[in-house]
Amino acid sequence: MLVVATAALLGASLVTPVATQAAIPSITIWVDSPRLPGAQLYAQIMKGKVNVNVQLHAQGDLVAKVQLFNTVKKGWPDVVFGPPNDVAFLKNPLVNNALMLDKLQSPAIWKAFGHGNDWCNLNGHYYCVKNDLAQTVLWYNKTLMTQFGYKVPTTMAEFAAIGADVAKNHPGYSMGPLGDQAAYSSFLESSQCPLNVAKSDTVVVINAKSPKCTRVSALLQPMIDSGVLDVRSPFDAGYIKDVQAGKWLMNVGPSWWGQFVLRPASSYNVPAGQVATAPMPLWAGETKAYSGEYGGGIYTISPHSKFPKEALAFAMFMVGDVRNLVTVKNPDGSHGAPTYPAYGPGNKIWVQAVAKDTYYAQSIVPALDTQAQLIWPGTKPVRYDANGAWGASFATDLAQTKNLQHAIEAYATYTSNAATQVGYAVVSK
Amino acid sequence: MSQGRLHKPKNLLMIVMLSPYLLLLFLFGVLPLIMAVINVPSKSPANPNGGWHVFKVVLNDFRLVPAMWHVLGFMAIFVPLMIFFVVAMSLMLDANTAPWKKYVRLAYIVPACISGSVAVLLWYVLLEPTLSPFKGLMHWMGVTQAIQIWRTSNLTFILAFMAFFALAGQWILIQFGSLQSISTEVLEAARVDGCSQVQLALKIKLPLIRKYVIYMGVLVFAGGLQIFVEPQLLNSSVYHGIANQWSFDQLSYSLAFDNGNFGEASALSLMLLVPSLIGALIVIFKTDMFEDVTLKSGRKMKKEAQAREAAQA
Repeated sequence: MLVVATAALLGASLVTPVATQAAIPSITIWVDSPRLPGAQLYAQIMKGKVNVNVQLHAQGDLVAKVQLFNTVKKGWPDVVFGPPNDVAFLKNPLVNNALMLDKLQSPAIWKAFGHGNDWCNLNGHYYCVKNDLAQTVLWYNKTLMTQFGYKVPTTMAEFAAIGADVAKNHPGYSMGPLGDQAAYSSFLESSQCPLNVAKSDTVVVINAKSPKCTRVSALLQPMIDSGVLDVRSPFDAGYIKDVQAGKWLMNVGPSWWGQFVLRPASSYNVPAGQVATAPMPLWAGETKAYSGEYGGGIYTISPHSKFPKEALAFAMFMVGDVRNLVTVKNPDGSHGAPTYPAYGPGNKIWVQAVAKDTYYAQSIVPALDTQAQLIWPGTKPVRYDANGAWGASFATDLAQTKNLQHAIEAYATYTSNAATQVGYAVVSK
Repeated sequence: MSQGRLHKPKNLLMIVMLSPYLLLLFLFGVLPLIMAVINVPSKSPANPNGGWHVFKVVLNDFRLVPAMWHVLGFMAIFVPLMIFFVVAMSLMLDANTAPWKKYVRLAYIVPACISGSVAVLLWYVLLEPTLSPFKGLMHWMGVTQAIQIWRTSNLTFILAFMAFFALAGQWILIQFGSLQSISTEVLEAARVDGCSQVQLALKIKLPLIRKYVIYMGVLVFAGGLQIFVEPQLLNSSVYHGIANQWSFDQLSYSLAFDNGNFGEASALSLMLLVPSLIGALIVIFKTDMFEDVTLKSGRKMKKEAQAREAAQA
């Protein structure tokens, strides 16, 4: 991948027209490897109009590098693709690397995002552009479900009932892993468990003992005990090996699950014609079946950019242009953007292409569309590494104790400390 | 005595020889130190007003005490293991007169070629029950899942072994080199007196290379205290979160580059300087490490050995 990227980077810089360099705008873009083909295509398209310098970076690079740029007062890239949580830190006045974008494009375009860009709306202003939504849905193996005679669960109680039956009659089949952020995005967020609910830049709600959290552990604990839910990470080599043997029945997972986790031969390797999606199962007593979100990157634009409009235009190309969403060729031979676009009009283009994908047993789009409007708005970007803490405290604790509530509380303790350390007041509601 | 007369020209020569080092010391030692002190009261998102109280804030950081136990635990395994194993292996290598000795020496250096980032990947595969070449053995011992191995509480051991295998080979060769500098006359004399190979190693050779062993201990200690690359890589690319701010240096790095808190990062770095500085001062003033510094110090050893022989006679 790196070799390809470097070669492509060289290519991009070679085609830069030197003579006109001073006359036309020039922007520097940082993207990760899944976004690289689109960014390179953009550079080609803009040749002669905007000089686009594409650089390959790991997703989390900006937060670290911006400290150095701020120290030497130069070097900030114009527009960067990064993890969603970064925006809270980048918009802090002392860091000052997320430009307020409201006035850079027409209100109609912002409106076309629908709820898609809610994450980037902080205190009523837009500080980033959401690249993709990572809303959770129920992914299931249609072939196995038919074979076992199960109905697709519409409530969490039905989900747990299937779990009990699987443990009894079909032991060895998995209904999903819980490690890393999986438990949070799949179950805790959908149950509205307050673990990262930032009320302002300095106040955050963290309360693992809330009934919205304890009902999750109460429902899932028997499934953990019976082994139907796995305490390992979704990317754990051992777990992958187990489900590769045709043992993946279903799991609540984000929109990118099919393409990145279920499909690749090196991953769960579920054969073509078996995977389907359904809307999120509903928690008892709720009227809305919320989704959690697992990932879903953002573009931030530096206030130091001389060409913020051109920088924003790149982000909008990535989320709204058919050439990136559908036609661009990826190194693995596939075409188009790999994840569910956050921007309404772009999304319509993308889903048309995905709906035709014969890998899936039926179109995965309806469930994704339903849940895109139902992402739980409670979780907000925070200035501490709320995502890393899932590995640092929750996953480790769950692996050792196999007690979900204990692990949730370990996470809450860790993040409460982390939040206090960076100057948040932690409250229970 | 005779040294007194040589002092003046020697001093000039010394300054000339030292100047490149002094320049580097200033650029990469003193200057960063001054910058760290200046940075301590700087403002950060967590501490919008800045101020010198960040020393206290760092001491109260919930990650500091766990990091301390991690690093101390790591050192408690790594440092003695290194010293014991390296000394034992180099003495054995020195005692061995077989013609294939040079190949053995080469073999020691091989694991040292796999260091840092590569070592992390290698050890991940070795200790991952699904991928490991020893998975048969691991399964027999009841280890079938990665979480039985790869958890934060086991990292002290894993990282100690990782560091040991990365560094032991080089030090075996260095200590073998120091053993080579022992005068053959001394060794001959010992053999004539009926000294066995074991006695020769423990009673003659070991005391003569004592200084080098202390020197190794100091460097290994200083290196261990600064452990960073291995846990950082494990945390960022193998198991996300397994070694979050696991060591002191990681905590300092995270304060600076994840939280933008250069004040606290500088305060922690300055505090970390203290144990290393105390260690260095003890080595300089309380041991004879830096007394009569001559290259290889073979001559001095010869003198010591002669003195010892004379005393024995």
